[in-house]
Amino acid sequence: MGLAFTIRRACFGACVGVLAGGGLVPPAHAEDVTITVWSHEADEPAKVVFRNKAAHDLEQAHPGLHVKLTWYEKDGLYTALRTALAAGRGPDVFYLEPDQLHQYVSAHYIMPLDDLVNWNAIYPWAREVWQENGKTWGIPQEVNLNVMFYNKDWMKKLGVSVPADGQFSQSAFLDLVKKARAAGMAPISQGVGDRPYPGAYILGEALLHKLGKDDYAKLWTGKLSFQDPRVVAALTWVKQLVDAGAYPKDFSTMKLGESFYYFYSKPGAALFPMGSFYSGRAFAPPDKGGQPADFPLGIMLFPAMDGAACNRCETSGIGSSFVINAATKHPKEAAEFLDAMSTPQMTDMWIDTVYEPAAMKTTTQGFSGPHADYLNALMASQKGVEYFTGMPLDIMQNGQCKDAFGQVLNSAFPAGLLTVDRAVTMMNAACFGH
Amino acid sequence: MGLWLTYLRRTPLLIFLLGYTVLTGGPFVWVASMSLRTTAEIFADPYALPTRPHWGKFAEAWMGSNYSTYFRNSTIVVASAVALVTVIGAMTAHCLARYQFRTRRLLRFVILAGLVLPPQMLILSLFQIMLDYHLYDTLPGLALVYVATQLAMTVYLLEGFFAQIPQDLFDAARMDGYSDFEIFWRITLPIGVPAIFTTVVLNFVTLWNEFLYAVVLMTDDDERTLPLGIMHFMGSHQLDVGMLATGLMIAIIPIVLIYALFSETMIRGMSAGAIR
Amino acid sequence: MPPALDTSHPARPRPGGRQPTSDGWRPSLATLAVLLAPAIVMYLGFTAWPVVRTFYNSVHLVGPGGDTEFVGLRNFSDVLTADPNFWTAVRNTAIFTVVGTTIDVFGGLLLALCLFTRVPFVRSLRVIWFLPVLMSYVVVGVIWVWIYDYDWGVVNLVLRAIGLGSLETAWLSNPSTALWAVMGTHLWKWLGFNMIVFLAALHALPSEVLGAAELDNCGWLAKLVYIIIPMLRPTLVNLTVLSFVGKMMIFDLVWIMTQGGPLWATETVSTYVYKRAFDWNTFDLGYPSAIAVLWFLIIIAFVVAMSLLLRQRDRLEF
Repeated sequence: MGLAFTIRRACFGACVGVLAGGGLVPPAHAEDVTITVWSHEADEPAKVVFRNKAAHDLEQAHPGLHVKLTWYEKDGLYTALRTALAAGRGPDVFYLEPDQLHQYVSAHYIMPLDDLVNWNAIYPWAREVWQENGKTWGIPQEVNLNVMFYNKDWMKKLGVSVPADGQFSQSAFLDLVKKARAAGMAPISQGVGDRPYPGAYILGEALLHKLGKDDYAKLWTGKLSFQDPRVVAALTWVKQLVDAGAYPKDFSTMKLGESFYYFYSKPGAALFPMGSFYSGRAFAPPDKGGQPADFPLGIMLFPAMDGAACNRCETSGIGSSFVINAATKHPKEAAEFLDAMSTPQMTDMWIDTVYEPAAMKTTTQGFSGPHADYLNALMASQKGVEYFTGMPLDIMQNGQCKDAFGQVLNSAFPAGLLTVDRAVTMMNAACFGH
Repeated sequence: MGLWLTYLRRTPLLIFLLGYTVLTGGPFVWVASMSLRTTAEIFADPYALPTRPHWGKFAEAWMGSNYSTYFRNSTIVVASAVALVTVIGAMTAHCLARYQFRTRRLLRFVILAGLVLPPQMLILSLFQIMLDYHLYDTLPGLALVYVATQLAMTVYLLEGFFAQIPQDLFDAARMDGYSDFEIFWRITLPIGVPAIFTTVVLNFVTLWNEFLYAVVLMTDDDERTLPLGIMHFMGSHQLDVGMLATGLMIAIIPIVLIYALFSETMIRGMSAGAIR
Repeated sequence: MPPALDTSHPARPRPGGRQPTSDGWRPSLATLAVLLAPAIVMYLGFTAWPVVRTFYNSVHLVGPGGDTEFVGLRNFSDVLTADPNFWTAVRNTAIFTVVGTTIDVFGGLLLALCLFTRVPFVRSLRVIWFLPVLMSYVVVGVIWVWIYDYDWGVVNLVLRAIGLGSLETAWLSNPSTALWAVMGTHLWKWLGFNMIVFLAALHALPSEVLGAAELDNCGWLAKLVYIIIPMLRPTLVNLTVLSFVGKMMIFDLVWIMTQGGPLWATETVSTYVYKRAFDWNTFDLGYPSAIAVLWFLIIIAFVVAMSLLLRQRDRLEF
């Protein structure tokens, strides 16, 4: 009986396998095509609606074409991609960010999109970010601007007024941090529990201001030493902020999403350095973790540095983007989905519901929708700003350098665990000259 | 008077009991309370009880995520894996405990060495191998992996127990003309029920909550087991602490119910000299 | 038809260890084959082969698409000499395992003893104290991250309430407390299991011995140390081994709570291997396989040392 039992169990297992396998294959139909899409940003309701609508519209326009969207959180997405792509089983289309470009191209996991996608709908400077070896590998969607959000009421309470041009000086900013701490307020909200970049926002912009665009790019590509006096000066200033208690105590483990409600809900903070994808999460309904209805949101630029090369420089980055799996059987249909997200109507929808700048070209002036003020304020803060396109992780090519960035400048240094010298040494060891 | 002294001496003990009970049970009560409140309410006062319980959140969480699929997948994989490993483990343990044969010591060493094998030794290669066997991202594949991971411990526990069954029983059975299979089926298994019960419980709990292998070997949403499903749910509701708590409760409640129903049976089974 | 065996009163296994297998018990090849075949197949296919493959990977660079490049022992030398993170991970895992197992086993015994002496509500306490064992690591991890939260978590709130506010810290973000905080959570989850097993063992102790000890006017401490613990020795050994092995391989809880941070304070060997394989920016599987092999050898060394230490003849005999 034991053996028969075992055999029956094995059959059961095999049968389940057949059923499970069978269920995944779409019914054989001459034109029926299903493309699978894996996307991040499951917790940004507006983007979920946006991409679902693009999929839905595409299905209406093309009977027989089905789009299956699966949503992930970023960490889970990248892990799943690594295992699935290595298995030759990945989705047809997936979300990717520019800092992943190099690995995926060298692993031959994605295909060039030059001839597949309608590039007239995309800004050329956005397209450049996704180019390598003369080909374009991804279609950009979201444009980020690094800005400093703040709580207007708390500023008033501290008796501090934001300068007219939207930038504090180095010392004024340090004073602000000290005043906030003394008043029992958390000066800055930030968390690096699940991302390798937020902790370096303030440092990054300080470096950009001091070095100017060219030297800044050289720094991250290993052509400029971290011992350069300007770099050391920026690090020293940030260390002063850290020592003054600028960052939250839970900084190392706080997740990105959590840092949002740390800023506008509990316990609240005065400042929130973040990309302009802030709106994706903040404008979720308040009882689901979004910003309270009457929150006094202000937007300003990162502080101006002494002896800086370019104080009006600001990092802009390409955020959400999509790529096509090199092993896909339906490249044309996959490309159609990408185009479906870049039409003028969808672009308008993006701006009016997601409230972020887009990489897709738009001609409409003015904004509508309940949070239009937000976009107006954002645009107003950008007067006279010069953009440097690319977050540090997007520019770096060296894997060891990226890892050191995530551990050292993003996590350990702002957490107060490293001295300036130590940070300089560790970064140089990983980046300079590689 | 004597009774008073006894009570007095036992007061520190009772305080300790109360303290530990709060420590173990408290977090569950807290999550239960949070699961019925909205995020805004929670931030206003994290530890208050719900003033107006939002029962609808449970429906929302269930409907909005794929929980029913995750439950189904977990049940299929874990039930089949536990059944398989119990049968295979019992057969192997019986063999190692009862019989003498040339390679016995080597075999025993090799199988028990699996006990100390860290998952990391296996996970990367298993990933490649599952691809070769075409078992990647399938429920049966995961079940087979689970059987392999739990086999060593099951054999370890069962063999130790089986070896202590008095030899006379077996000698008597042999003399009465029982075949090897009947001996296994009629003596070892019935007497071994307490130990088997323990291993079933242990395997079930371990595999139901198993996370690492599931993460690496399953990618399709329809194949996800419950722990992955919970993680996925966490990811899509990062800001919504209230909804997170509801999602957690959906994962907790079935376990608590099953345990409340079966705890006496389970503990009686484990108590019958299971691990001696 | 052989007479029915009377199995209505199943014999309890005799204390004192294994029964000798008599000489006449040489089984037929067919019997052996059927009984052992499934286990051997599973083992070969899903354990032995992957282990061999890992050894193979460890001396290669394994890129995506399966192309391999033989590099000899370079991976190993890199791990041992050029990788401070590896040694940090080993140190953390060792601390976690040794301290954690000790508290786990003796804590479980303590709890079992508490319930063994007649206290009210034993049944309910047993249920409540065992609940954490059944919970998924995901559930436990998320709840305890909330509990350890600096601003609104219970731990700091309680500290502030009882006037020990100076002790409050960000438990999971502070490198000096992070590992202990994670250990605390792990113990919270597993103490109940050891408790139940010890409780069962205590109930199985022959009452005559305990009764005799009463008559001899032994104090409870003496009873504990000289009678109960020695009689529980096999259980103690079993639970220690299980706990030890389980803690050496810890992954899930660390991953959910801290992911090895901050600054590698909670990095364990398993999280490090996972990161190098799946989070690192190259797609190479060779280097993490080398780490896994090294770790395996270290564990074997530990187990051998432990079995020598415990000098247990009938359990860990290999």
